[in-house]
Amino acid sequence: MKCSFIWKVIVITAVCCILTLPFPAFAGMSAYDIVKKCEDLLDQAKDSKMDMTMTLESKKGEKRERTLSAFTKREGENKSKSIIFFNSPADVKGTSFLVWTDENKQDKQWLYLPALQRVRQISSSGKGESFMGTELTFFDMGSQDVNDYTYTLLKEENVNNEMCYVIKAVPKKVEFYNAITIWIRKTNYIPIKADFYDTKGQYLKQGLFMNVKNIKGINTPTHIEIYNEQNGRRTIIDLNNILYDSGLKDNIFTERFMTRGM
Amino acid sequence: MAAYQYEGDVATKLSIGGYIEGKAIYAFDHNSPYENPSVEIGLDVKASVSSWLSAKVLLKAGQDGKVHAPGSDNVFDQLTVVYQNNRSYIDFNEAYFDIYTGKVDFRLGIQKFAWGRLDEMTPTDNLNTPDLTEGGTNDQVEQKIGVPAVKMNYYSDLFNTELAFIPRYVPYRLPKEGERWFPGVLILPSAINTNSAFGNIPLTTTYKDINMPDFNLSNSETGIRISKYISGWDVSLSYFRGFDTMPLMAAPTDVTVDLKDPIALKYAINANVDLEPRIHMMNVFGFDFTTTMGSFTVRGEYAYYNNKYYMRKFDSVLDDLLTSQERDTILAQFLKTYIDSLGTATTQTFHFDPDVDIQEDSMKYGLGLDYIHGDSSVSVQCIQEFIPHYDSSRPVYFIKDGFHTMVTFMFKQFLLQNTLEINLGGVYDVEFQDIMLKPSIKYNFTNNLQGIIGVLIIASSHDDSMLGQYSNNDEVFVKLKYSF
Repeated sequence: MKCSFIWKVIVITAVCCILTLPFPAFAGMSAYDIVKKCEDLLDQAKDSKMDMTMTLESKKGEKRERTLSAFTKREGENKSKSIIFFNSPADVKGTSFLVWTDENKQDKQWLYLPALQRVRQISSSGKGESFMGTELTFFDMGSQDVNDYTYTLLKEENVNNEMCYVIKAVPKKVEFYNAITIWIRKTNYIPIKADFYDTKGQYLKQGLFMNVKNIKGINTPTHIEIYNEQNGRRTIIDLNNILYDSGLKDNIFTERFMTRGM
Repeated sequence: MAAYQYEGDVATKLSIGGYIEGKAIYAFDHNSPYENPSVEIGLDVKASVSSWLSAKVLLKAGQDGKVHAPGSDNVFDQLTVVYQNNRSYIDFNEAYFDIYTGKVDFRLGIQKFAWGRLDEMTPTDNLNTPDLTEGGTNDQVEQKIGVPAVKMNYYSDLFNTELAFIPRYVPYRLPKEGERWFPGVLILPSAINTNSAFGNIPLTTTYKDINMPDFNLSNSETGIRISKYISGWDVSLSYFRGFDTMPLMAAPTDVTVDLKDPIALKYAINANVDLEPRIHMMNVFGFDFTTTMGSFTVRGEYAYYNNKYYMRKFDSVLDDLLTSQERDTILAQFLKTYIDSLGTATTQTFHFDPDVDIQEDSMKYGLGLDYIHGDSSVSVQCIQEFIPHYDSSRPVYFIKDGFHTMVTFMFKQFLLQNTLEINLGGVYDVEFQDIMLKPSIKYNFTNNLQGIIGVLIIASSHDDSMLGQYSNNDEVFVKLKYSF
């Protein structure tokens, strides 16, 4: 099953859903099993909505803030729809972005720009490029198959007083990352940290997934930091007003709501 | 976030935001009319009073540095005037109510429509007239004048339908004569060379404002657009019946003959042309689509214009007006009246209403291609207007041998965590080989403060082409915008 397990923890559009109950570390679980379990747990809720504040910090410490609201709904096993509304800054306010994902087809994307007052179907390339100036790339946001990586359980390690599995994920075909090291909490299978290495094997960036809150029985990291070691920039994402399984209607994920807003 | 935001229960919201923008230009050509710095305040108020009712007002007010001679004390932009020359102005850019029901949305009030898929020179988008007080060089949405209208959108699984009703035509806007963006094609020569014994006839031009059509149902405008998403294609069919949005002038002309010397039959002849906006109702049948092909977005649009009118070139009109046969007729008539009046009618005026606007069914179509690579994007469009039965003996403005083709392009690059935006926009007029370039750099100093510096360059060897009429308007522009 295709699913961006990293992104689903990091990002907005995903359904960040880890069951509340602590999971026992099953004896004999392989690294793949742990990651697969982590990924499976991420796809629990049928829909989600949340507000997000993204703070972009430059190397000099200058900060820019942008806020947005995101809605996601799964449609069966292989399909989902997401819509994002940009609330600030002023020059992107009113912009909305709609994605229909079908694992068997190319994603369909529409963009509504208030400056043009038109909804436009778009196709973007450059998956290794930055998403909206953040330290996340379009690849980080996209669909990835858990089977595209091989996994090695390196060790168990204490991070911030939480015992974690330390797993190294190596892509079978190197496109954007040479390797990713993921620290997954043993108690609930929520990643706490991830280190990304570029295609040359150099340390690129680190993601931290903090401030886990229990929302409607689902543990969700609500404070995420991505620090790019190579350019010294940081992206901080704070998730607010998270709501799961609120019964989002299908018509939210249409051109009608892109232009109308929520 | 908006400057003020109130959220009551689920459906009750009020947000107030806006901006203050200052703009200054430096004109490269010192013969170009001056333009003082401008400042504009925009106030954007949105209120939702229930889940089915909301309202929006976008009010713009400011000081327009382009205006040389303010025409009235009324600061409100008027919806019945072409030559809008308020130096201090208040403009209800948009002001409407939205009513949402299960499958039908209504919008009532001053609003802007956005039909079609192309970004500029959109063939099927004819519901809003343009504000051409910047010569059409600014963004298309900024050019659009909000029109009082009723819009209804019906959403069904089969297709979406949009109905538009505009009870009263709102004219386009032009700057006053002598201002920087006054269209060059409307500046007539100060004399007509008759190549005859008449010699040069002095010509004066009077610019009259529009004679608005009567406010009745037959002069209202209506449109319907049906859209559907089919297997990756967004397609639409549209029909619009309304007045043409582009400037078109009538040129009633008075030729005055003054007999200076009855013995020698010496005349002084002069002419005055009243340039007066004229509008015509037309029908537009449209089709548009957009889809993705690999990493590209492809957009297309086609419109057939029935009963469209074009403006003939004035030199051709004047040539027709003062043919040797016409001159002989004038003199014969003059002498007859002179004799009948027993020599008292030494000054006589002859009125003509030449065919300046000619009806030609035509079509306009275009194709656009977009490519987005991360923070970079390129967009190219080619738009052509074609008059199948073009009469080359009666040439019209902006069309050459029945064709007018424009290629537009826009390159955008975001840098420094999207705080810096580099734009390179341009237009190429294929028939006249004119080029307009508009590179600019936008930088967000803070979350709220944004600065833009850019250059506008128009290279043309014509003074009567769409771009060439503004070829003296090359400039550097600087904008500073604070949003709240």
